[in-house]
Amino acid sequence: MGMLKRIPRPGLIVLALILAAAPLVFSNPYQYDVAIHVLINAMVAVGLNLLMGYAGQISLGHAGFFGLGAYVTAVLSANYGWPVYLSMPAALVVVALLAFVVARPILRLSGHYLAMATLGLGILISIVLRTEAGITGGPDGMMAPPLSIGDTNLYDERYWYALIAVLLLATVWLALNLIDSPVGRALRAVHGSEVAAEVVGVHTLGYKVLIFVVSAVLAALAGVLTAHYSGFVTPDLANFIYSIEFVTMVVLGGMASTYGAIVGAVILTLLPQFLTGVDDLEVMILGAILMVVVIFMPTGLVPTLARLVPGGRR
Amino acid sequence: MSAILECRELTKSFGGVDAVADLSFTVDRGHIHSIIGPNGAGKTTLINLLTGIYTPTAGSILLSDHDTRGLAPYKLAQRGLGRTFQNLQICMNMSAVENVMVGRHLRLNRGFVSALLRLPSVRSGDRDCRARALELMRFVGLEDQIDQHPSEMSYGALKRLEIARSLAAEPELLFLDEPAAGLNANETHAIGALIRELAASGVTVVLVEHDMKLVMDISDDVLVLNYGRKLAQGTPQAVQNDPEVVAAYLGGA
Repeated sequence: MGMLKRIPRPGLIVLALILAAAPLVFSNPYQYDVAIHVLINAMVAVGLNLLMGYAGQISLGHAGFFGLGAYVTAVLSANYGWPVYLSMPAALVVVALLAFVVARPILRLSGHYLAMATLGLGILISIVLRTEAGITGGPDGMMAPPLSIGDTNLYDERYWYALIAVLLLATVWLALNLIDSPVGRALRAVHGSEVAAEVVGVHTLGYKVLIFVVSAVLAALAGVLTAHYSGFVTPDLANFIYSIEFVTMVVLGGMASTYGAIVGAVILTLLPQFLTGVDDLEVMILGAILMVVVIFMPTGLVPTLARLVPGGRR
Repeated sequence: MSAILECRELTKSFGGVDAVADLSFTVDRGHIHSIIGPNGAGKTTLINLLTGIYTPTAGSILLSDHDTRGLAPYKLAQRGLGRTFQNLQICMNMSAVENVMVGRHLRLNRGFVSALLRLPSVRSGDRDCRARALELMRFVGLEDQIDQHPSEMSYGALKRLEIARSLAAEPELLFLDEPAAGLNANETHAIGALIRELAASGVTVVLVEHDMKLVMDISDDVLVLNYGRKLAQGTPQAVQNDPEVVAAYLGGA
């Protein structure tokens, strides 16, 4: 333990080692593909956990930001000929602006009302993507050009895996830093007692808006990467079922635990792989797992397990 | 001695009922002021008005001669206002010392980018913040419960934790809403000594309290409310001997 304490972020190093070692057991492109989806979902879950686990604000609409990010970069690059390295950041900016504009009215709400408002927002985005066929290609979706470095297009799953793994590591590092700062404490205080936070000078609405935008941008980043990795986008990316899945990842892994969010994303993304023969049962099994976790370990997997390890609280 | 706070004809109605009515008074800098009155007299409503939780229906509140109308609580905190709550407002998702550290929010580097990158200024700021929080926990007698989870702490300890958090912000004017409620005689005595020390260090204290012995022992000035109106104001002795105050407390005419 003494050794571990001197290393600034032991968990981050462990995560980096796991990400670096994982390809050793991958034997075909399909396994890379699954791993890439795991990492992309983990990115969304880490961001959503900042909003839900730390600041205590729910969002049932994050698939909307995910899908919108994917579509903005696809439309700009495919229809308007923008280079991908410009259309990707542009998509993040668009989602950030949308999140910022809707955040102020939405985050004045709390509890069920906030859940309904974010759910509505997500559904609205998916309807727009589906119906604005002139721009988005409608229900069939549209192609998204591949990411290219110089003149070579990035098709190989191994490069995508490396790129997304590095981005996820960066995301986790930034998220851990944020939590471990006055901003992070203010966010947690907003969760703990909004009025107490307010009277010591925390602009609670401002912080809620900030973290809503941050988590929306991370969802959009994941969407942007998905678009160019898979080469096409469909309105299904913004399906509200995915919003529920993202929330489930956070709750399953453990609220207010960044590594928990990753574990939740791993489990929920891999689960369908093991249930391919029993498609009909998938949703039922998912529901059963969620019920068991909520009843028997309400703090989620990672915090519950961490408490079993003596001396470890994270 | 100048007034740090002045209320002029302050009124707050809830659906036609005046919880605070036409109330004017001043609070002198560096003194201990108590607000007392029977249940439902409007004491907590008054504190909620003064700290920006409620907006007055009419009248004005001057903080160091500046009108505070329409300012949110966090803005008032920036102007040196602090408070504790009658019903505890502790962040149960944070340890005891983290609760106190939140109190120093306004004194820290709150930049988003520097937080993301955990710049050296953020790190050293947090170190100092924790050191200061530990000092305050010692000051309120919680030095042995630093990393405790609030759910494992006694009611009296949580009351003092709130005081430590409010002090972490270094307020000029501190509102304590029933700090002695639910405390035993020893704890109440300790809180009284603590409040005296605070005032001696230059903090103006406004106290809402039911424990009359505590109020009469430590106050420089007492404001008596009844049905949202001022019944009397003066030194503890003057108030105690006021026939109207006696009538309001003992019932009768």
